[in-house]
Amino acid sequence: MPEGSPKSRATRCLVVDDERMNREVVIANLRAVGYETVPAEDGQQAWLTLNAAPDDFDVILLDRSMPRMGGMELLAKLKADDALSHIPVIMQTARASSEDVVEGIKAGVYHYLSKPLDRQLLLSVTAAAIEEHQRYLRLRDEVARRTTAMILMSSGTFHFRTLAEANNLAVSLARACPRSQHLVVGLSEIFTNAIEHGNLGITFEEKAKLLAEKRWRKQVDALLDAPQNRDKRVTVTFERLAGEVRITVRDEGAGFDWRRYVELDQTRAFAVHGRGIAMARQLSFDVLEYRDPGNEVICLIRGGEQPCAPEAAPAPPPKVVAVPPQRAVAPSQAPDEMQIACSMQSELLPPQAELDWLAKRYGVRISGFFEPSSALGGDLWGLDPIDDHRFLLWLADFSGHGVTAALNTFRLHTLLEHITEDRDQPAVFLTELNQRLVGLLPLGQYATMLYGVVDVREGSFTYAAAAAPRPLVVCPGEPAVQGDGSGLPLGVSRTARYVDRVLPLLPGSVLFMASDALAESPSETGQKLGSAGVANLVGEVVTARAGEVDVNSILAPFLATVQRPLRDDLTAVCCLRPE
Amino acid sequence: MGVPVKYEIIDDDGGPTLILKDQLTVSDREVFDTVIDKLLARKRSKLTVDLAGLDYMDSAGLGMLLTLRDRAERASAEVVIRRPRSEVRELLLLACFDSLFTIEHT
Repeated sequence: MPEGSPKSRATRCLVVDDERMNREVVIANLRAVGYETVPAEDGQQAWLTLNAAPDDFDVILLDRSMPRMGGMELLAKLKADDALSHIPVIMQTARASSEDVVEGIKAGVYHYLSKPLDRQLLLSVTAAAIEEHQRYLRLRDEVARRTTAMILMSSGTFHFRTLAEANNLAVSLARACPRSQHLVVGLSEIFTNAIEHGNLGITFEEKAKLLAEKRWRKQVDALLDAPQNRDKRVTVTFERLAGEVRITVRDEGAGFDWRRYVELDQTRAFAVHGRGIAMARQLSFDVLEYRDPGNEVICLIRGGEQPCAPEAAPAPPPKVVAVPPQRAVAPSQAPDEMQIACSMQSELLPPQAELDWLAKRYGVRISGFFEPSSALGGDLWGLDPIDDHRFLLWLADFSGHGVTAALNTFRLHTLLEHITEDRDQPAVFLTELNQRLVGLLPLGQYATMLYGVVDVREGSFTYAAAAAPRPLVVCPGEPAVQGDGSGLPLGVSRTARYVDRVLPLLPGSVLFMASDALAESPSETGQKLGSAGVANLVGEVVTARAGEVDVNSILAPFLATVQRPLRDDLTAVCCLRPE
Repeated sequence: MGVPVKYEIIDDDGGPTLILKDQLTVSDREVFDTVIDKLLARKRSKLTVDLAGLDYMDSAGLGMLLTLRDRAERASAEVVIRRPRSEVRELLLLACFDSLFTIEHT
């Protein structure tokens, strides 16, 4: 047990396996070394247990295949739940193909164990997971406790030498950023790496050995005191830029082969540590960029400044083309509830890291645009992988705007996470979503939505629509193919039924969807694009740029002339399938 | 915007007809609520909304029609929409309002 455990309770493990014998073997081993254990027979029982007491567990040992709710399904639910996502999950499986392992690790598994269980490995991995989790809880508590003026800092430079200083700075800097609780672990990981792998030159293999021999901490302290290291520092610079925070970390080491560690790969799937960088990247940062030779790393956290000025203070109209979403900034204000709401809302949108990941997995380039007409918006878009060749892409727009509409976006987000069946059948899914919204939305409020499945193997976008602007597919040099957005708005009639429609989406073409603000917002001369104008605009930009487009380049001509502030929230998504 | 919706209510044997002119947009919500009160106060089983003079309606306008329909339903009244034109007609079709309201095109 590490010192300074954050809770007075005993260390507790949840053991989930449908086979009683397996369960009892694991439980007996864990109890023998002093951990408390709680059994669960399947994912569903585990889910109920965890929800009843989210703070009671330090680690989950999870069987992969079980009836009712399997390991992967439970894992997905855990990682989507803020109260539970931090508990490390050790997955056990009888037949671990390396693809399974990578899939699991990408989904957030802390470690994989293959059956039959190796007792020694079970205990060392469990101990490492528990220690990491308790470190997370300590950091999280520190972040929550620390009141700070760091949120007002626009730039700064820091130096540190020891692990204690590194943690201290991680907590402080996390407080200066959005999503501080998630960020602190990533920063702490990056800072620790800069000391041990950078300044002290401990290799990955050496660290594994030191950890196994329980000599790691001692060795780090000894090396820090060695004459050749005593004067080495890690330098951290913090810059708050428009819409993002940039943290640069530089050590005095010789660098390292960072490419091996940025992505989790199968060769390291069974190693006890060495996943910190990749986990930090997945959990904390929008972009994590190493500079060769590997002794400098840049961490980007987006959404640093929130569009949260009071509604009465519109920003002046911009005079440049290629305008990013306007941020009416209130940098010197302490975060009030509105700012918190704004940052919560921007967290609902897909982070850049997820778009990058999708680009790799499916060979598509997705970009989104979101500019609310006031502090909070009533639009939302999102995506979600289904399997190796299909992913979901959707855009919703609630009637009205401001706080009421924004609350509805939170409702929708929650609903989407809870409806797990038929997600890949747009019409069925939209019908189900509608029925749930009917009971939730107040009188006169509704949503329009496009919800579809991009299939890169078939080259298609299969979608269902609820009173949404037409989705468009454009190939350079050809007029836009316009889909059909008609359908009852969501939340109006319990008996509404939706239909599946299909657009071709071949390599070289672009799928574009936008909320109705694009067609309806008047320019400075009072002109509106209308739906035909939107189709022309997208067709012209895609052709002019020979298909090399993103959402900003498509919207640039519109944004350059539209009246500001916008009258309605504008959201748009562009999905490019390169040749 | 800023100009409140122009409206008129005409009563005849078939019940009240609400005539909307120019635009129906988000800024008309409060006015529209009082219009609904007035229509329902007539206690007739059929309410007609004539859109022949309406050039533009935004998504909030759709919401107002839905509110009217809902409140009319509770008062056991039917809402008939008449003569929507161009953009307004397209918007009603996009939202499949023909499955919620009787829409008369003449």
